[in-house]
Amino acid sequence: MPEKNLDFGKFGARGIRGSEAVARKLDELAGGITTPVTARRGLMARLHYLTRSGKSRQAARGAGLTVTERTLKAWLEGKRRPARANLERIDAAYRAVRRQNVARHLLARLNRDGRGTRVEIHPLNQSQVPRPLQRVVEYRSMNVRRWDKIVSAWAAGDHQGLDAAWTADVLPDLGSQWGQYEYVTNVGFAA
Amino acid sequence: MSDFDAIDSLLAAVGPEAELPSPQRRRELREQARLPKAQVARALGVSPSTVTGWESGGRAPSGELRAQYAYLLDGLAAKLTAETEPETTPAPAPAAPSAGTPKAGGPHPEPAESPAGPAGPAGGSEGDEVEVLTVPEPCVLCGQPARHRVEGFAQHLDPADCQATPAAPPAHPAMTPAPPEAAPHGAALAGKSAARPSRTPFPAGRAKGPARRAFQEPSGPADLIGQAVQAALAEHHGDVDAATAALLKRAIPDAMRLLDETRKGARYDIVAHPWIPDILRKQTSRGPDQVWEARPKWTRADLPPGRHEVTALDINGAYLSALKTHLPLGQLEHSAGLPHDRRRAGIHLITPPPWEHETFLPNPIGQRDEPGPLWVTEPTLRLLLRLSGPKYGLCEPPEIHESYTSGATENLLEKFRIALKDARDEAIEQGDEVTLEYVKAMYSKFVSTMGESNYNRELYRPDWMHIIRSQAFSNLWLKTLKAHDEGLTVVRAMGTDELHVIGEWRRVFPEGRGVTEVKVKDTYTAGTGEGEE
Repeated sequence: MPEKNLDFGKFGARGIRGSEAVARKLDELAGGITTPVTARRGLMARLHYLTRSGKSRQAARGAGLTVTERTLKAWLEGKRRPARANLERIDAAYRAVRRQNVARHLLARLNRDGRGTRVEIHPLNQSQVPRPLQRVVEYRSMNVRRWDKIVSAWAAGDHQGLDAAWTADVLPDLGSQWGQYEYVTNVGFAA
Repeated sequence: MSDFDAIDSLLAAVGPEAELPSPQRRRELREQARLPKAQVARALGVSPSTVTGWESGGRAPSGELRAQYAYLLDGLAAKLTAETEPETTPAPAPAAPSAGTPKAGGPHPEPAESPAGPAGPAGGSEGDEVEVLTVPEPCVLCGQPARHRVEGFAQHLDPADCQATPAAPPAHPAMTPAPPEAAPHGAALAGKSAARPSRTPFPAGRAKGPARRAFQEPSGPADLIGQAVQAALAEHHGDVDAATAALLKRAIPDAMRLLDETRKGARYDIVAHPWIPDILRKQTSRGPDQVWEARPKWTRADLPPGRHEVTALDINGAYLSALKTHLPLGQLEHSAGLPHDRRRAGIHLITPPPWEHETFLPNPIGQRDEPGPLWVTEPTLRLLLRLSGPKYGLCEPPEIHESYTSGATENLLEKFRIALKDARDEAIEQGDEVTLEYVKAMYSKFVSTMGESNYNRELYRPDWMHIIRSQAFSNLWLKTLKAHDEGLTVVRAMGTDELHVIGEWRRVFPEGRGVTEVKVKDTYTAGTGEGEE
């Protein structure tokens, strides 16, 4: 696609990929435990979330928390503390499971029975670009009706899939200038 | 003899005063005709605020001005009657065409037919210049293409070509008042439309009308508030409590809908989810962010000697009035070390100036205990800058260190505010408690949930929330100053809308329930020895 940026930031523009901004916003909407996993309170909350039922244990195992039942029990009872590598694994597993659990509800709210959600796209930051190379890039807003691909890719932690869904399916609706919005400072929407 | 002449002229001037419609009707007439106050004021040679006074009922003109104003209102009433009439009487009696046809068809309608007016607007214009159009334009009477133009209005010269509905009188600026037989009818109609909100005086059904009408349908929001209230009352079979409860529940989405409606065709988009700087984010889930809203919480340290009657005044609709404030439009941008820019608004890190009038006036930045720089919002900064200016000279100018600002406008929520204010005024006038509660819930919840609240996910503007609140506090502060300047003793200024004063406050603040008026919350005596309250 000729609209895509090849060497973003060559002249000093700053921004993140639109799909990454969308993933951040979805994470924010999904909410969850904010206390860091390194604190005891945050660790226990995550462990409880991951071991509430057989299904959630299974999901946790699927998300990479492959420790034995015995270890989990010891962690939960506070007899042992997870090593740092395991703390990271717990956090990652928590985020993955949380996304999967929230995805269905979030999808319904974003699709709103086909009415879709209004998305605001705040353009990239050109303050560091030399004056002659700066271009007028406006703030845009659009209505996104189908979120299925976006949310499923996000829930699966599939960054490439999310990027494809956002860049190839959603952005071209902005019109011929959509390439200017491949990188943005912020994408705002609510669910 | 000259004495008698003078007396004669005096007697002539004394004659009966021209009748004026009610103040509300005056305003309605002007708004339906979509005439700005400034234009009316210019035509009459007075200031716009005088027109405001006439329309809000405080005052009425007298003498020659009164006659002129009455003439204007008469003319407007006649025009609006003429506009509304064809819609309500689609198949009129044959009397109507006989009145309408000569005007509808005649290329020389004006001078012959204008009834006696002191200085008829048609009197000056000759009105007989017929232009031939190369490209047909829609006739002002029937909407069909016409090839001639008279006085800037395309129309058919031959009544036979004009397929207007028989009763349609010409919508012509130089037109004389409507035919007499139509007037009482139309007046009754106008009265009926005055009973319900005036925002949409014309039904929207007639889209295919003439293109260039003197009065277009107002572009304001449809009467969403009235419709919602009526629907709720109908749904609950007139049970006022149940309807109120149901309306309060949906106040936030309804406010957002009204906001969308009022922003149709507007110049600026509402940016609902911009990037938010960290100072505007809550530190913890329940904690506050770092912005200081300057809420006043001030009680006079010591009263003048003796016992006093203190009146606690309540400012009506403080947050509603505060919706008129400079709001940043887009994403906030950081800047440091720049002087204040009047065209931008946002939040600012300032070192407030010392305040030396604490004994009789509250500090404009509120009751702050710790010294040092703090983040304040636009209204607080503007208040400080104003007070440090040459007109007041009450303090030093504040020192601005850093700012997060964006281009600003004061009109972003203006239509929204006016729609709510009109609904509120009307509800008060008619004693309609349901609408009153509903409107109150709409604006107060709109302000309180426009930040990071989960109750309103359509708008995430904590900056606006802080700015609107600060504006309310700043308005209260200015009222405090006004009371002080007028010689009242201010005892306490608190929260958004509470002002306790000693003295004859009625000559300073009008009493009532409108947003420009105050109401009495409480009166108590306080004095030496006992401390107040």
